[in-house]
Amino acid sequence: MQNAAPVVEIDNLHKSYGPLEVLKGVSLTAHEGEVVALIGSSGSGKSTLLRCINMLEVPEQGSVKIGGEAIRLSGKPPNRHPADEGQIRRIRSELGMVFQQFNLWSHMSVLGNVMEAPLHVQKRDKVEVEAAALEMLGKVGILDKAANYPSQLSGGQQQRAAIARALCINPRVMLFDEPTSALDPELEVEVVRVIRLLAEEGRTMILVTHDMDLARTIAHKVVFLHLGKIEEEGTPAEVFDAPKSRRLQQFLRAADHT
Amino acid sequence: MTETFEFWVSYLTNGRHLNWYASFQYTVIAALLGGAFALLFGIGGAALRNSSLPPLKLLGTIYINMVRGVPDVLFFIFFPLAFEQLVELVIAQSACPAGGGAGVWPPCPEANWFLGTGEYLLLASVSLGIVYGAFTANVISGALNSVPRGQLEAARAFGMTNWQVLSRVHIRQMWVYALPGLSNCWLLLIKATSLLSLLQITDIVRGANLLGAPNFSRTAGVIHGDWRWGYYLALLLFYILVTYLSEKAFAAITRWASRGMPMAERV
Repeated sequence: MQNAAPVVEIDNLHKSYGPLEVLKGVSLTAHEGEVVALIGSSGSGKSTLLRCINMLEVPEQGSVKIGGEAIRLSGKPPNRHPADEGQIRRIRSELGMVFQQFNLWSHMSVLGNVMEAPLHVQKRDKVEVEAAALEMLGKVGILDKAANYPSQLSGGQQQRAAIARALCINPRVMLFDEPTSALDPELEVEVVRVIRLLAEEGRTMILVTHDMDLARTIAHKVVFLHLGKIEEEGTPAEVFDAPKSRRLQQFLRAADHT
Repeated sequence: MTETFEFWVSYLTNGRHLNWYASFQYTVIAALLGGAFALLFGIGGAALRNSSLPPLKLLGTIYINMVRGVPDVLFFIFFPLAFEQLVELVIAQSACPAGGGAGVWPPCPEANWFLGTGEYLLLASVSLGIVYGAFTANVISGALNSVPRGQLEAARAFGMTNWQVLSRVHIRQMWVYALPGLSNCWLLLIKATSLLSLLQITDIVRGANLLGAPNFSRTAGVIHGDWRWGYYLALLLFYILVTYLSEKAFAAITRWASRGMPMAERV
C-alpha cells in the first residue's frame, strides 16, 4: 500500500466546538486502494475527523489534501471556511459519503437519489447516468426498489441505496460514517456484505465504525482515536491482537462485551 | 307564476346586477394577486430572517414582527394613500411652481395622480401582499427550519451549490411543513379582500349594500324594501364556495408535497 499514491492526506487537524476540543492534531493518510478503519469510543472525534475530509466540518488548524490537492481555507476560527466554493464543490463531488442516518432525500425516489448528483452536480449525460444508477442499485441488491421512496424501504435497504448513491458519482474515496450503527443487527448484515464487496474491489475507503469484526476483516489500516488524538494505529493484526496502549486494550475489552 | 319568473330574470340581469357580478372579479384578482405577492414577500422575508448576515436578519425580523401586529385595515388605507402621495410629491418637484399651494394637496393640479380601479386594485394587492407576506414569512421561516439538517448536509456533501441546496432540497421539502400554515394565511387573505371597498373599489360587499338597500323609482314607486339579507347571503355562499375550492386545492398540493416525506405516513 505504501507504494500506491496517497489519495487523502490529513495533516495536524484541530477542531473545537466552543471550548470543547474534539480533534487535537490528527494526521492520517489513505493510499489508493487502501481501506482505513477509524475506531474509538463515542466522543473520540472519529466522526468529526471523517467530516473534516469533505469540509462538512471546517478545522481550525491543519490541512486536508485530496489526490495531492490541498483544500484552500480562509478566515479566522471559528469562521473558517473553504476559500474557493468551486474547488470544494468539485472535491466533494469526488467523495462518496455515506451517513449513519442514511440522509437519502426523502422527496425523491431511490433512483432519483442515485441520479441526482451525477446529473445536477457532475452534469453527466442522462442516459449514461440512468444506466450507471441501475447498475449500482443492482450491485447493492435493491434494483427492485428503484421506483420506491426511501421511506418505503427498510433501514438496511435505505443504507444500501445511500451506498449506491455514493458509488454512482465514481468517487475517488468512499467515506463511511458509522454506516451500520442505526440498523438492527439483522439488517446490519446486508449492509456489511455490500461494504465487504466494495473492499474486495479495491476501492479506497475510510470507515468510521463500531463493528470491530468488520474493521478487522476489511481494513488494511486501523486507527484508534482517543480524546481527539490518534492513540494507536497499525494493521488489524497489530491493533487487535497486540494492542500496546492501555486505553486500546480497555476499549477492545469493552467492545468484546457488547 | 310566469310573471314572477320574468320579473326575477329581468331584475337579476339589469345593468346594476351585471356590474355587481362583474365586481366578483376584483375580489378574485385581489386574492390571487395578493396571494402571489404574499408568497413572494413571504419567501423574501423568511430568507432575510434566516440569513446569517445580522443586518439582513434584523430587517427580516422587523418586517415579520411589526407588520403582523398592525391592523390590516389600517395598513390597507395607509399604504395606497402614502404611495399615491409619494408619487405626487415626486411629480410635484418638477411639475409645480416653487412654494405654490401651501396647505393643499396636491400642491398644484398638474401633480394630481389619478388612480382608477385598476391602479387601486394593484395597490390593494400589494397591501395584502405586504400584510399577509409577514404571516407567510413567519410560516415559511419555521418550515425551512423544520427540514432535517441531514437532508441539507447530504446535498452539500455531494457538491451542490448553495442555490441547488436551497432550490432542489430545502424549499422543495419545506412545503409539507408550511402548507397548513399557508392555508391559514390564504383564507385570512381571502377574508381581507372584503376591505377592497375602502379603496374606492365598488367590490362585492359594497355592491351588495347598494343593491340590497330599499329601492325606489320615480315612475314605478317602491321596487323592493330592505333586501340586504339576501345579498349578504349570496356573499356568504360565495365565500364558502371559495373556501371549499381553496381547501380542495390545498389538499391536492399537500398530496404532491408529502410524497415520500417521512411525516406522510402519520397522516
